[in-house]
Amino acid sequence: MPADNPRATNAGHPLHALIAPFPVALFSAALVTDLVYWRTAQDMWETFSIWLITFGLVVMVAAAVLGAVDFALKPRLRAQPMAWPHAIGDILALVLAFINAMVHSRDGYTAVVPTGLILSAVVVIVLVITGWMGDAIGATRR
Amino acid sequence: MNRSLALIGCALTLAACGPKPADPSTQYGANPQLPDPHQYLLPPMKVAKASSWTKGETPTVAPGLKIQALAKGLMHPRTVYVLPNGDVLVVETSGPAAPLNRPKDFIMSLVQGMAGAGAKGGNRITLLRGLRANGGAASRNTFLEGLNSPFGVALIGSDLYVADTDALLRFPYVEGATSITAPGVKVTDLPGGPIDHHWTKSLVASPDGTKLYVGVGSNSNITENGIEAETNRAAIWEVDRVTGAHRLFATGLRNPTAVQWEPQTQALWTVVNERDEIGPNLVPDYLTSVKDGAFYGWPYSYYGQHVDIRVKPQRPDLVAKAIPPDYSLSSHVAPLGLVFSAGSALPAAYQNGAFVAEHGSWDRDPFNGYKVVFIPFIAGNPSGSPQDVVTGLLDAKQKTARGRPVGLAVDKGGGLLIADDLGDTVWRVTPN
Repeated sequence: MPADNPRATNAGHPLHALIAPFPVALFSAALVTDLVYWRTAQDMWETFSIWLITFGLVVMVAAAVLGAVDFALKPRLRAQPMAWPHAIGDILALVLAFINAMVHSRDGYTAVVPTGLILSAVVVIVLVITGWMGDAIGATRR
Repeated sequence: MNRSLALIGCALTLAACGPKPADPSTQYGANPQLPDPHQYLLPPMKVAKASSWTKGETPTVAPGLKIQALAKGLMHPRTVYVLPNGDVLVVETSGPAAPLNRPKDFIMSLVQGMAGAGAKGGNRITLLRGLRANGGAASRNTFLEGLNSPFGVALIGSDLYVADTDALLRFPYVEGATSITAPGVKVTDLPGGPIDHHWTKSLVASPDGTKLYVGVGSNSNITENGIEAETNRAAIWEVDRVTGAHRLFATGLRNPTAVQWEPQTQALWTVVNERDEIGPNLVPDYLTSVKDGAFYGWPYSYYGQHVDIRVKPQRPDLVAKAIPPDYSLSSHVAPLGLVFSAGSALPAAYQNGAFVAEHGSWDRDPFNGYKVVFIPFIAGNPSGSPQDVVTGLLDAKQKTARGRPVGLAVDKGGGLLIADDLGDTVWRVTPN
């Protein structure tokens, strides 16, 4: 096994990279349901959003733990130029998504508009950037 | 930038950052101070942990008064009602299981459980009769069973009306009876499930016995369950007791938990539980006369034209019509019981006015409420600040609650009855 492969693996597949797309997908879906709620004010869409954000947070915490294991145990992974920005970006997204969950737990229209909607968009943007960084790390590894 | 840093700081420490709680006395009466609303990341939640009365322990009463337990060991007593022969009906009840729609609902149900609000009611009415020397009832009978989250009770002649959470029922009553086994006849459906957020249906009969007035609470804090779920809610219904036909007597009353007639003016009065999550000092709960056809603001505005931005779409046409209530009790006290003092044997200071049972706050630090207060009236209108009548429900450290007051009534002997749904007790206050 090459020295800079991640430790947290399943049959050789890096687990962090395996589940990293899920939060992106869930938070992107929440952004969509937020946009629909913004236009319709139908409470069902806000309910979708808060559940999508909640599940996104759960998966993201798991991804962060696995990422942190790789990060801590593999000095050569850590030495990559994208490693620190990737880690910090993910932590930022996690914090913002958590705040977003609290905003989305408000009652009524201000659960989404405007703060929740803005946070949903920012979380997706940050995750797209950190995802690209993560891919770069994975590419050098391969 | 500083604001967003503070926002993140609040989120990370899970602190309930927000406005400082005001002294409740700044919000008593006709013109309460109303600060700007605050939108929380994490609204404060502070509930008193449920404890219980030890043997011989009672709430504290104002000088000149005495308090004794009329009945203990009840199943979540919420309403007390006095029959013409002096018998006392105790409605033992709790709400239907709340749907868990959002992650927040799981957290809320945990918190409410800690406060003892999850205790199962008996779904029945118990009859208490007579008085022993120690102040307890001489006899206790199960009067009526098989009800569905009942709350309001009203007797007109030989017709006993019971307001279940989803229907107004009529039962035949014979004076002196200690139980009713005849099935109830449905007078009209009332807004119940599947969502049944504010489930209590308060009830009072008109003085001439032709109409019934039913307090129907909203189906949400502030329309988060959709405006369709609010149809015919947050209103006081006027029901024709013969035909069951109803009209909305007054609307925009978020949760009118008790309805009573002011004895001097014969006007209908109610206590209303106002909205949450916009600050420790918003929105004050209130006591008000209820004008025929009036709109009191919920959900679009409060205290007249103070618009609630959480409601979408907004309705400026309705806000323009909204009238302010008569008398603020201060924020989050949760008034659940109301009775006018006429007929009570309490000292002269309590002869003209209203008793209000304040179940107590759950989203405010420090607590507010957790007591029974008296509001003096002059010529049919409140005059002066609320005065503490029954206190001592919280322990000295303000950590646990032994009792929380709900329904009030004045019994035939002039005693003030208090249903305590945490202490599972009915208390009786008399002159010392």
